[in-house]
Amino acid sequence: MLSLKELLHFLSLSEPNIRYVVFGTIMVGIAAAVIGNFTFLRKRALVGDAIAHAVLPGICLAFMLQGSRSLWVLLPGAFVSGWLALLSIDWINRNSRLKPDAAIGLVLSVFFGTGVLLLTYIQQSGDGSQSGLKHFLFGQAAAILPGDLWVFGLTGLLLCGLVALFFKEFTLLSFDPDFAQAAGLPVRRLELLLSTLTVLAVVTGIQTVGVVLMAALLITPAAAARFWTDRLGAMVLLGAAFAALASVLGSFVSYQQPNMPTGPWIIVVLSAIAFFSMVFAPRRGGLARLWDKLRHAWKIREENVLKTIYHSGESLGDFTAGMHIEAVQGRRAFNPWQLRLSLFTLQRRGLLQYGASGYRLSGEGLREGARLARIHRLWELYLTEYLRLAPDHVHDDAEAMEHLITPELEAQLEAALGYPERDPHDRDIPR
Amino acid sequence: MTTPVSEPALEVHDLTVTYQRKPALWDVDFAIPAGVLAGIVGPNGAGKSTLIKAIMELLPTASGYVRIFGKSLEEVRGRISYVPQRESVDWDFPASALDVVLMGRYRQRGLFRRLSDRDRRIARDCLHQVGMEAFASRQIAQLSGGQQQRVFLARALAQEADLYLMDEPFAGVDASTEEAVLELLTRLRDSGKTILVVHHDLQTAARYFDWMIMLNTRLVAAGPREQVFTNEMLQETYGGKLTLLQAVGNLAGSKGLPLRE
Ligand SMILES: Nc1ncnc2c1ncn2[C@@H]1O[C@H](COP(=O)(O)OP(=O)(O)OP(=O)(O)O)[C@@H](O)[C@H]1O
Ligand SMILES: [Mg+2]
Repeated sequence: MLSLKELLHFLSLSEPNIRYVVFGTIMVGIAAAVIGNFTFLRKRALVGDAIAHAVLPGICLAFMLQGSRSLWVLLPGAFVSGWLALLSIDWINRNSRLKPDAAIGLVLSVFFGTGVLLLTYIQQSGDGSQSGLKHFLFGQAAAILPGDLWVFGLTGLLLCGLVALFFKEFTLLSFDPDFAQAAGLPVRRLELLLSTLTVLAVVTGIQTVGVVLMAALLITPAAAARFWTDRLGAMVLLGAAFAALASVLGSFVSYQQPNMPTGPWIIVVLSAIAFFSMVFAPRRGGLARLWDKLRHAWKIREENVLKTIYHSGESLGDFTAGMHIEAVQGRRAFNPWQLRLSLFTLQRRGLLQYGASGYRLSGEGLREGARLARIHRLWELYLTEYLRLAPDHVHDDAEAMEHLITPELEAQLEAALGYPERDPHDRDIPR
Repeated sequence: MTTPVSEPALEVHDLTVTYQRKPALWDVDFAIPAGVLAGIVGPNGAGKSTLIKAIMELLPTASGYVRIFGKSLEEVRGRISYVPQRESVDWDFPASALDVVLMGRYRQRGLFRRLSDRDRRIARDCLHQVGMEAFASRQIAQLSGGQQQRVFLARALAQEADLYLMDEPFAGVDASTEEAVLELLTRLRDSGKTILVVHHDLQTAARYFDWMIMLNTRLVAAGPREQVFTNEMLQETYGGKLTLLQAVGNLAGSKGLPLRE
């Protein structure tokens, strides 16, 4: 089925139809991805979804009034109703006690419901059946015409140009709107511009992916790109690249399998990219995080082993006595394999020494063991003194905290407690 | 109780602010002179953040008005710097510490204009002043709470203002950051700037500020610290709500804690 020859033929773009679809979806995808960064960073994904759904009644009304399905006719209608939805959400937020998500949901369902009603009406009224309006639900990229490319290209250019022009203002607006306003930026007008551009991106996108999936085209590229970079500029470019890639692949799938719709496939590819990023991205990805967690678990285990040996030395009053594996196991139940491994790595790190009498703490190991015991006991003391917890309720919590507390926190803890010498169980707090 | 001030840096006249008709500030009226380090204290929900936001016109006021250096905010905006509460933004934002400080330069640069090398130099210098130059390119989410607070302060410095309004710059910072921030504020004050700081800790308030505004929805007292930071005023501000704070207040009032370090 998937042949390289076909892919190459497709990529050569020698068929005009392929060209229209590929260029059209790329332009729409990039425009949506660029503006979507700010939607994503301002946590307005839901608003994007509401706008996307809300353009449907505008499209239907424009068609009913003008009787044409040219984009030049339908898009202004879509734009107006998307914009009205945005204003309605704003108005409800300002003038009622409804929570923002409720306001968004309300506007989405009212507008979309009206749109579906109008659509049904059009389809039942004779000429509606060939109007193809229902394609606006899920998009129909195959129907992109050369004239449409002009619409996409111009709006795309306008949109990217304005974003470039206002990049630093939009960034500040997304990060800290209060500061922006206090510094004298025209926040209201910038917000209006940003929202208008979002509506514009949504409106041009519905032809390819449709109102139902449009929000995904807006948000997914930014969400995926965020996993890979900590710089906004790079995030915008990467998101645009993801959108372009998804557009090409989505178009290819529907070229190969003519009954496959392009728009939904673009979204499928985008989602796959986002999923891949979520799992594999360095540092922010799931695998990287899992690895961090494993390392932390490993560290906790090592520290517990060390502390166990320290406690044994403490109770004997002699830190030089060795300890065999069974003895460690006797004081605290470890998984035997993990215990062996931890003992081995502790020895490698120079915290433990192994001799005829078993494992014993090196000088450095002794210091580290004392530090762990100290933090544990300080924290127990803190909990009993400040939170008035009973002494027999604080051990588990301290057990978790001792692996997290940093030297600065430790110093603060000591100072707050007045450099205590005994813990709530009347044990020494080692220095 | 308020102290009259001639040639004030900031005057607040009969300011009332409401949230859905519920007053958060009620007829607040005070002034602070130029060149002081002033503290706003009051219990949780006293309206401290609301006061700062209302001064910056981030909230609509029900009545009253504010004058800064004898003018309206719009006329002197370039001379004022606002430091929001650290928790008011999402720090998991794709920006570096330097990026955030540069935001303090946007206004001087104006719309459309690109930031210049001079802006970058100033921003770096401000990071240096708060001891964060080593973290310039660090992603802001990877900074500790105290470091994030310092970045906010550096951003305010980059604005090169004459009046600074800061919402809890000492919240959630460690002891060393607290000292560093205090030193910075004192230095600013000594160079003639006026600084208004929302502060939570009464124990240190006595030591940090030379002017005090004590707030609990209404204004309890405003004036030089040694005049208004008294047992009686503290009790009036905090009511019977917080016995611990009251105890500290008593201590400060009766024993006269060291007034300056
Ligand atoms: N956006 C808001 N909508 C409704 N009520 C609000 C809003 N913001 C604050 N309030 C209310 O106004 C009052 C003053 O709030 P404000 O945040 O100014 O207090 P604060 O002194 O800064 O408190 P804190 O010490 O907790 O920071 C509080 O009762 C609060 O519940
Ligand atoms: Mg506050």
